Amino acid sequence: MFDIFKSMMKEEWRMHSSLFGHSGFALFPGFIFLFTFLVCLVLPVFREIVSDAGIALGMHYFFLLVGGMVGAFGLMGREFMNRRFGQASLIAYSSRTLPVSERVIFLNFLVKDVVYYFFLYILPFIAGFALAVKLVLPSAAGSFKFSLLTLTLFLSFMIGLSVVFFLSTVYAHSGKTVIAGLLLAFPVLVFASGNFNGETLYAHPGLAFYLAPSETRYLLAPAFLILVPSALSLIFLKVDYPQVQKSFSNSFSGLSSRLGSYRYASFVAKDFLDLKRSEGGLGKIIFSFLLPATLVWVLLSALGNVIPALDSLLLFSLVLGVLSSSMYNWLTEFDLFASYAFLPLKVSDVIKSKLDIYALLNVVPFVFLLGLGLRTEPYTLGPSLLVFLSISFYMVTVLVYLTGLYPSVNLYNGKTFALYALSIVPVLILNIVLSILGPYYLLADLALLPVAVYLLGRSFRKWDGVENPQF
Amino acid sequence: MIEVKGLSKSFGNVKAVDGVALSVGKGELFGLLGPNGSGKTTMIKMLTGQIKPGFGSLRVHGVDVLKDPLRVRELVGIIPEQETPPSFLTAEEYLHFVAKIRKLERYEETCEKWFDFFNFGDQKNVLCKDLSRGTRQKLMFAQAFLHEPELAIIDEPLINLDPVMQRKVKDFLRGYVKNDGTVFISTHILEIAREICTSIGIIYKGKLVYTGRMDELGLEGRNLEGFFLELVGQPGEKQANYETGITGMIARE
Ligand SMILES: Nc1ncnc2c1ncn2[C@@H]1O[C@H](COP(=O)(O)OP(=O)(O)O)[C@@H](O)[C@H]1O
Ligand SMILES: [Mg+2]
Repeated sequence: MFDIFKSMMKEEWRMHSSLFGHSGFALFPGFIFLFTFLVCLVLPVFREIVSDAGIALGMHYFFLLVGGMVGAFGLMGREFMNRRFGQASLIAYSSRTLPVSERVIFLNFLVKDVVYYFFLYILPFIAGFALAVKLVLPSAAGSFKFSLLTLTLFLSFMIGLSVVFFLSTVYAHSGKTVIAGLLLAFPVLVFASGNFNGETLYAHPGLAFYLAPSETRYLLAPAFLILVPSALSLIFLKVDYPQVQKSFSNSFSGLSSRLGSYRYASFVAKDFLDLKRSEGGLGKIIFSFLLPATLVWVLLSALGNVIPALDSLLLFSLVLGVLSSSMYNWLTEFDLFASYAFLPLKVSDVIKSKLDIYALLNVVPFVFLLGLGLRTEPYTLGPSLLVFLSISFYMVTVLVYLTGLYPSVNLYNGKTFALYALSIVPVLILNIVLSILGPYYLLADLALLPVAVYLLGRSFRKWDGVENPQF
Repeated sequence: MIEVKGLSKSFGNVKAVDGVALSVGKGELFGLLGPNGSGKTTMIKMLTGQIKPGFGSLRVHGVDVLKDPLRVRELVGIIPEQETPPSFLTAEEYLHFVAKIRKLERYEETCEKWFDFFNFGDQKNVLCKDLSRGTRQKLMFAQAFLHEPELAIIDEPLINLDPVMQRKVKDFLRGYVKNDGTVFISTHILEIAREICTSIGIIYKGKLVYTGRMDELGLEGRNLEGFFLELVGQPGEKQANYETGITGMIARE
């Protein structure tokens, strides 16, 4: 069993380093470190309005969210890899040829991902944070317990991961529409029931242990939340046997003719079917988008209660814009340009079709935000919608410019990731600062639009000019 | 239909195609022969405007490929070396997808015809990712001829097809050029060239070492294999490396 694990680690490492060269991939955690460090340099300012416990709270929820997103994404990320490398994840498929059960393989797969994420994200994050605290807040260094923090942030990440993994297993087994309906009802419920208060937030299992490490019993809750859902998911794992041929009656033609003479009708129809027929179905949208968005809203609205200086709705619009831009990642998950290179199409045609679908999908968060704003803070609704739209648009253009049709692969390149973070993080920080000053300062985001339009034009030329030998 | 001069392309310090000049007239079935890695796919990608040459000029179907690569791909039917139809469309949906991209009307019947021709109508509702490689190759074949092009450019046809289907494809291609179509195929299988090509070019390490009409080759008493090996290498020494089995595979490098 350990042999399988070792080979998987090697396979993953080779895959990434063959894409970007060893240094490109190895730089990735380096940049996570650097950026956490740089962002944390503003901690002294931040500590004026937020308590240390509040900072810990933010970090724990952030990692819970990251874990959840990784869990949701892991389900889809494989699609691309399968296509890019054929069925080249040989080991993952070897259960058909080796006397090893699917379950063992999958468990290995999961552990491998966790180990990778631990070294790629969590450890560099803590290191960056620790260094920044030591440098700019030497007096407070004692009040942050770094090794404990490493443990509890890791636990938060794992809780997010295993809960989403569990939900997806339930989803795979049960009547999908029923579950999708229930999941969809969750945001609506939160939406209807008003805000949670600060105390509920501090009950986060990892956080509770961080704040009171002497209470070992606090460890029980995270252990339970990680082990039980994972175990259940593994037991009830539903493996999509690739040797079974799947058939569908033709829904493509009907779909695309309904879109009339719209230029990218066939792509929209195809992408819809990709989403619907791939593992997880349309429920993926809920897992990877509505669920995290709801979680963020719960968190931010409570944070707004605790720290009056922060405007929950404005911050939420900002996060919603960031989350939206991740939709571009999974929109591009199913395609290789090699499938179209011999047709009268350019790379920019495919990108444009994706962007149209992206714009269409943005209607969902837009409406969500609109409803939320009307209910909670009608007076900041205008700036909030502006923040959401401009951040979502700006971020997706940066993503397109830097990564073209392959964001989920190219972002692992250290240099690309650095450029990405450099173009995004300052804008986000500026937005947070402006939102504290007052909602109408955020009209400044209008300036992002011409930048985005310019960048988009550059992107089309850039990617049409690049030959795609690898894909 | 195809006019190429001084065509070169390097990848790093590998000269994949090196100073190739050739021309293919209307109604010809031209075979570009060469062992693996000799530059056939690179040639085809340049002909169809998928990659840009380092040097040289190309006219295909009367279009300057460098100026208007999209127009070339509109006119020509292309079968790429690797079959990668989108995963989650069914075989039939994929053909309809291509037809829509090519802005065809009333394509349903044409698609039907291809399912019949290759005898895989029972697979038309199966997702492309679940099709066998052979079936996917049939699909790629159908895809290339949907718009009834006057010129077809095909990279390594037939490798995944069974002998019955190979026969069908060869007969189809011969019929196609008889009706004024033009075909450019690349292959490392001499058998195919011997059977169906009207003219051939032999490429080796990026250089075109021979071009000529099949009937002027003077093959009586010699076989194409021997001729090829003579051109391509020092026969005595190299022969051991080449597999010249019944299928006529000439090289596996
Ligand atoms: N995208 C690429 N990047 C680097 N080298 C390439 C690329 N494509 C082809 N080559 C190299 O160019 C040469 C010719 O390849 P190719 O045209 O695929 O040959 P053939 O189709 O005859 O087998 C080979 O040495 C191959 O390794
Ligand atoms: Mg080739």
